[in-house]
Amino acid sequence: MRAERKNLFGLLEPLLSHVEKPSRYLDHEWGANEEQDGPFHVCMVYADAYEVGQPNLGIAILYECVNEQVGMSCERAYLPWTDMSALMRDHHVPLLSLETASPLASFDVIGFTLAHELVFTNILEALDLAGIAFRADERDEDDPLVFGGGPSAWNCEPIAPALDAVLLGDGEEGLVEMCSCVRDAREDGVSRSEILLRLSRIPGVYVPSLYEIVVDESSTRWGYAIPRKTTGAPEVILKRCLPDLSATEPVPQRIVPYLGIVQDREVVEVLRGCARGCRFCQAGMTYRPVRERPADQVVEAGERGLAQSGHDELSLTSLSTTDHSQCAEILNRLNGDLAPKGVRVSIPSQRLDSFGVEMADAVAGSRKGSLTFAPEAGTQRLRDVINKNVTDADLDEAARNAFEHGWRRLKLYFMMGLPTETDDDVTAIVESADRVLGIGREVVGRGRRSKVQVSLSVAVFVPKSHTPFQWAGQLDPEEVRRRQSLLLHVPRDMDIRIAYHESTTSTVEGALSKMGRAGFDLVCSAWRLGCRFDAWTSEFRYDLWVRAATEVGIDLVDVATESFSLDARLPWEHTSPGVSKDFLRREWHRAVDGVTTPDCTRSTCAGCGVCPTLGVSNVIAGERR
Amino acid sequence: MTPGTFRLRVMYEKDDRLAFLGHIEVINTINRCVRRAQLPFRVGNGFARRMSIQFSQALPVGASSSCEYYDLALTDPLDPSAALSLLREATPPALAPVRASYVTEAQGALEAWLTRARWEVELIGATCSPQDLVDGIAGVSSAGSITYMRGEKEKTLELQKVLVEVFDARPTDSGCSFVLDTRACPSGSLRPAVLVAATGLSYDSIRVRRVGQWHEAEDGSLVEPM
Repeated sequence: MRAERKNLFGLLEPLLSHVEKPSRYLDHEWGANEEQDGPFHVCMVYADAYEVGQPNLGIAILYECVNEQVGMSCERAYLPWTDMSALMRDHHVPLLSLETASPLASFDVIGFTLAHELVFTNILEALDLAGIAFRADERDEDDPLVFGGGPSAWNCEPIAPALDAVLLGDGEEGLVEMCSCVRDAREDGVSRSEILLRLSRIPGVYVPSLYEIVVDESSTRWGYAIPRKTTGAPEVILKRCLPDLSATEPVPQRIVPYLGIVQDREVVEVLRGCARGCRFCQAGMTYRPVRERPADQVVEAGERGLAQSGHDELSLTSLSTTDHSQCAEILNRLNGDLAPKGVRVSIPSQRLDSFGVEMADAVAGSRKGSLTFAPEAGTQRLRDVINKNVTDADLDEAARNAFEHGWRRLKLYFMMGLPTETDDDVTAIVESADRVLGIGREVVGRGRRSKVQVSLSVAVFVPKSHTPFQWAGQLDPEEVRRRQSLLLHVPRDMDIRIAYHESTTSTVEGALSKMGRAGFDLVCSAWRLGCRFDAWTSEFRYDLWVRAATEVGIDLVDVATESFSLDARLPWEHTSPGVSKDFLRREWHRAVDGVTTPDCTRSTCAGCGVCPTLGVSNVIAGERR
Repeated sequence: MTPGTFRLRVMYEKDDRLAFLGHIEVINTINRCVRRAQLPFRVGNGFARRMSIQFSQALPVGASSSCEYYDLALTDPLDPSAALSLLREATPPALAPVRASYVTEAQGALEAWLTRARWEVELIGATCSPQDLVDGIAGVSSAGSITYMRGEKEKTLELQKVLVEVFDARPTDSGCSFVLDTRACPSGSLRPAVLVAATGLSYDSIRVRRVGQWHEAEDGSLVEPM
């Protein structure tokens, strides 16, 4: 039953002095939209702590899009930390929105960000705190509609039973259409099932309850989804894609938090999409095509955003900022205007070549902490397999350039467990670091004072849907540990430091990335056993996940390490980012053969299928280097 | 202060739910307010190129105040009332700046210079009488020192140095209240909640508000900050 809409901050306030970081729950931040008159009310939920959820660009964009609509209001909610949720349960305080402290269960629509697979138990925790039934089909007629969207929508089956509808792709227009649909349907007085049918007719909207799961000889053990008869729901739901990013507001984040958050800075999204074609990268496949904002818009937006927010740092964000065709011009113009005001410009990742270092130098000024590159694999052979189009020479040149520009510490990101990886590929990671360290000492000198240092961060590869590696099994955790041990035992200089990820977290992520709708039972079981905040090392409980898997009759390792046949119908094939299965299959074969595929923004079309399928194309503001 | 810069002292409040902001959160927020106000602030020449700004002593999380201060270095001597007006427009109402003027005489860092504070303390749900409260604090005071945990660290304060006076104890609708004067010294400052906890009196929650801050001159007289 729909809860009454009223401000319950008075119930929360007495609890604030008993919890860690009470500023997580305060609201009233600069830029928050306090006028929440509705009458149609939406709440966007990032099911993690405030400091993780608040910087999320997706929520910021959608918050503004909905609040701009006449008659619609949008608020935010985050998951209370465990100390607060325990107190809230003790004092019978439901999960509240920030802006008006209204019960989540009083909203017309609730939208969850599906940021990654490890947030699934937190979504259940949020629903439970809100007093909303876990399963969409158990909700009352007037209960809020629960939407999902975001990066993990591309295999949302393990959480799909909790969602009334899922939006695939860009949300700027789609979410507004979904909300309008619900508003109009409520005004028409139609049933909840009719609302779901209407939602399914909006392009890009997946309504899980309108699909049944079929397991047969053509599928994996997780089956595939087909529309239920008479629903008229599409067999394949294509993502929404904005053809022109520059037509959207470039400064979506207007809220300035009190609490120190994980990315505490002004943000301008300079481009969307990446066509480099790294075969492990889900974002690279699902956010295509590339759409750049022109330099003038980026510079104007950056300066306007800083004036509105008062931040002292501006981040030019995207999947690959240094690929922007006007990157140098943007950085030079912004630096000239902002440096005298003590404002720093930052870019989230560096291209592995001299241009990347030049750009890093342009934003670093005299502040040269450490510089990060992501070769991802230690040998040329394996880099060709993953289509990371960089060579040893690129790495060496970039490193030399970085040391010559004044950096002393380089961070190198690698992955372990990539398809076809051998022990030689693993040991070559240290050899790469050794070579880079040698270059540093050659440039800077060998003495202790040179402080040249190379840090390696080695993550475990998790195969993701809609990538050329979607058929691959994840490396067995035992084998991961053996290779990690191998890596650590390669003789190395004491100025090379190695950090690696726990294989257990990756196992859970890998299992949830592969499972179909049956994965919901696992998520429910894990939540019941106490799994929360699984992405936090301090909170992650592998033992509970193993118990949960046992309860539902599966083995996590068995699920995560399973390879799928290239011909099998996959659990996520009813959703499409526009990249064709044929292209992904072709890319898999090329990976196995060690053949690379060029970036279509610098070369010819690679035939991924996005542009003809979605009726869009790359939008490049200048000419790419 | 660096030659060619002007030290603008701003008095502001900390109220309502923003009483729950920690000191670092207040500092970051006011930094952003100053930038939004587009005052001609001075940027330091250090590695991080930060705004030159100093704050008065940290308030406990949950405590409100009618008299917090910061000193902001400006490169142009903007009229204080104009600066105040710009700051008010750029600041959340619960941290509203209420006065601004230039500091002309030589003073040390604000945090160290403001050595005396006055607090209004209310014990919500307390069943004791005001006299019990005064007696309880007197008992703690007569012990000479107070030892308490701050995070994982044990701290000891000599009450003779940090506790100046307790007065105006009275019943309220929801418990009882009193006024406390404290002194900051190099070994630390007395937080009202620590003093009250040491009495062993029973209450549901505590409401604390800082209502005055001064510099204590060598002759014991109190110097107004503005």
